[in-house]
Amino acid sequence: MLVHLQGPWTPLLGRLTLQQIPFHVPILVVTFIVVAILAAVVLGATTYFGKWGYLWREWLTTVDHKKIGVMYILLGLVMLLRGFVDALMIRTQQAMAVGPSSPGYMGAVHGYLTPFHLGQIFTAHGLIMIVFAATPLLVGLMNIIVPLQIGARDMAYPYLNALGLWLTTAGAALVMVSLFVGNFAHGGWYGFVPYFELSYSPGVGVDYWMWSFQLAAIGTSLGSINLIATIVKMRAPGMTWMRMPMFTWASLSTNLIALTSFPVLMVTLALLGMDRYLGTHFYTAGMGGNLMLYNDLFWVWGHPEVYFLILPAFGIMSEIIPTFSEKTLFGYATMVIASFAIGGVAWGVWLHHFFTMAAAPSVNSFYSVTTMLVGIPTGVKVFNWIFTMYRGRVRYELPMLWALLALFLLLVGGMSGMMNAFASSDYMWHNSLFVVAHFHMMVLVIAASVFGAVEYWFPKVFGFKLEQKWGKWFFWFMILGTGWVFVPMFLLGFGGMTRRLDYIHYTQWSPYLHIMLIGMVFYVIAVVFFVAHLYISLRDRAKNRAGADAWGSGRSLEWATHSPVPAYNFAITPHVNARDEWAWRKENGLTELHPGDYESIHMPKNTGVPLFLGILFMGLAFALIWRIWWLALLCVALIVVLIILRSFDHDTDMTIPAEDVEQVESDARDETSTAIRPAGVLGGTAIAHSTLQSGTGGISGSTSPSWTPMDR
Amino acid sequence: MTEHTQNPLNHPEVQLANGRAYLASFIISMLLMTAGLWLAVTHITTPFGTVLVTSLLAGVVVIIQGYFILHMDISHAQMWHTVAMVLFLPLFVVTIGLTAWMFHGLYQRTMIMPPAASSVINIPPMPSMSH
Repeated sequence: MLVHLQGPWTPLLGRLTLQQIPFHVPILVVTFIVVAILAAVVLGATTYFGKWGYLWREWLTTVDHKKIGVMYILLGLVMLLRGFVDALMIRTQQAMAVGPSSPGYMGAVHGYLTPFHLGQIFTAHGLIMIVFAATPLLVGLMNIIVPLQIGARDMAYPYLNALGLWLTTAGAALVMVSLFVGNFAHGGWYGFVPYFELSYSPGVGVDYWMWSFQLAAIGTSLGSINLIATIVKMRAPGMTWMRMPMFTWASLSTNLIALTSFPVLMVTLALLGMDRYLGTHFYTAGMGGNLMLYNDLFWVWGHPEVYFLILPAFGIMSEIIPTFSEKTLFGYATMVIASFAIGGVAWGVWLHHFFTMAAAPSVNSFYSVTTMLVGIPTGVKVFNWIFTMYRGRVRYELPMLWALLALFLLLVGGMSGMMNAFASSDYMWHNSLFVVAHFHMMVLVIAASVFGAVEYWFPKVFGFKLEQKWGKWFFWFMILGTGWVFVPMFLLGFGGMTRRLDYIHYTQWSPYLHIMLIGMVFYVIAVVFFVAHLYISLRDRAKNRAGADAWGSGRSLEWATHSPVPAYNFAITPHVNARDEWAWRKENGLTELHPGDYESIHMPKNTGVPLFLGILFMGLAFALIWRIWWLALLCVALIVVLIILRSFDHDTDMTIPAEDVEQVESDARDETSTAIRPAGVLGGTAIAHSTLQSGTGGISGSTSPSWTPMDR
Repeated sequence: MTEHTQNPLNHPEVQLANGRAYLASFIISMLLMTAGLWLAVTHITTPFGTVLVTSLLAGVVVIIQGYFILHMDISHAQMWHTVAMVLFLPLFVVTIGLTAWMFHGLYQRTMIMPPAASSVINIPPMPSMSH
């Protein structure tokens, strides 16, 4: 049944031997030393300051959607840095290895990376940036913001939420482990068929890629189920469909895409797993298999995934631009339709990823047209954002700057995307740097939106604004880096340079490659500014305290509750009266209302089960990668036992007493209060002062607790 | 609110849970899938016949699971299953249909088949995909 493998295998350790630890690669040895020192410092500091209990109670076992979102974003930022380092290495190699006389170092004939090593780096770069950086960043933002925008207490399934986080983290951790134990796939982030079959890639790299990808896919699917259920069933009373904030609409559309497309990826990877483990022939050229089946299945997921990433970015822009234009969003209904049109078209364009692979001309024409159709709803969105700014009071604060950068990059990326949509043109530059530059423009739209979103919602989550000075340095150096890296990349694409080269034959390309390297230096400086930005903001957090409506011109419901948001989000479930509820309340002088008395709030209880499941799934994947069958069976058994135990645990909820709610609320309202209540509040140390001062009467609203799913 | 008002047993879709139906669905599905595997392994019919029969068997399995496991009907309690079905059907037609259309053109251009498998080339295009 199992495929016979060449090379050593022992029942105890599977394929794992001491030779699999890359002692002989100096880069990895140095990396390992740095990582080990960093880990020792972090673990030591946690122990020294006695924070293990805090870490366990407040973060590792939490089911609070805000904290889970923060952890998703932290995961995304760490992996973003890793992916950036990969990019830095690719750019350095390509700048060095030009022409036959270019020198070679560390075992490479040209440059300093062997083709095998470079292959692992560009594979890891692609997979990490899309699946372990962009996706967690966006899922984290949706996790934090969507329940706040619809007036819910938490997600529909808080436990599932934590499980999704830890499965994704397990996948990311596996990619990291592959640095120091074994190696990673060298066959591209989307997998070159049949190169990744066992006969051509007998090592563990492809298995690492396959299983970490699979874990992330499961985690993201669980998250999408959760967000859809939350948006559909848990909106506050009065929040009709057409009163939903645009970010929530975008989240709904994007998660419908995720829910319907990620299972395709899971099946695709599972079939590859059967090829590699059981000796089936789904993706081989003979024995009834078909290479194109893999390409087709992969991109049936792959293209919806692209829109899964871009739609939340559009949602973020649709929130930031009205706030800093002090106007309502232009063309709300068309924005909703456009979001769903993009989501719908996402399902009919995937073949444009392989125009050149012998499909019939009629097929290519069909996909050309559907791909161009995407430009219509996207164009509607662009014009809506511009009309939102038109005659608005535009304030160029950091979130707005990022949103405008995203808008500009969207134009560049979108226009070059339209060029790619022509199958005839695509034949010219398929697999060239032009395509690479195009999709990097698009993922930079996502990156810019995410940075804008972090600036924009940071005060809501942590109670203080990020400072502006270093943030602006970071912003401008990101622009410098983007220009210097990607303008030459477009030009090289026109010049005919293909992707993933470990050695460049044409010395006339050398100046462009060196200019790109200078751009990478700007990016490195930008990262330093980003760290300074975070550090200075944390240091001066007392100075930058923000009230509930941190920017003064917030429009949607999340600005109605305190900053930082209490564990229960809203003390009383808000009643929604208008599309821009918070703006409506400000216009009608209803911002300073607070209820006379509070009720106890029913909330989900912390649980360590998702964390342990994440660890066990990682163990399972690790065992499967190295074919340590006893460990795989053990992990499966423990997973089943843990799930059964959890399903018989009926003590999964707790109640926050009314007095505690009242205490937190009055502390948040009372600017002179010195009472500091760390527990249960995101950000830990203090409750920020809210602009809510005093008042009488109550915010009219349902008396039933808002965690109760609404029956619509 | 100390009381748990979200008792899952009050949900109509949970009340429909039925161990016997699950078991029946499992056994029938396994039998039909084994039949599909047996057809594919023994080459009892032409390649195209195998594709057709296994596809039919898969369709029957889907219907059986939808009936016994999801208890799909058009009642109000099961509305979300119906919504999911309405979302799923066009996606299924689009992805499978466009894939079949692509492979149809692709096979005519690239896959020179050995005579034994040549009937694969003659897959008629699906009605919705004619162009």
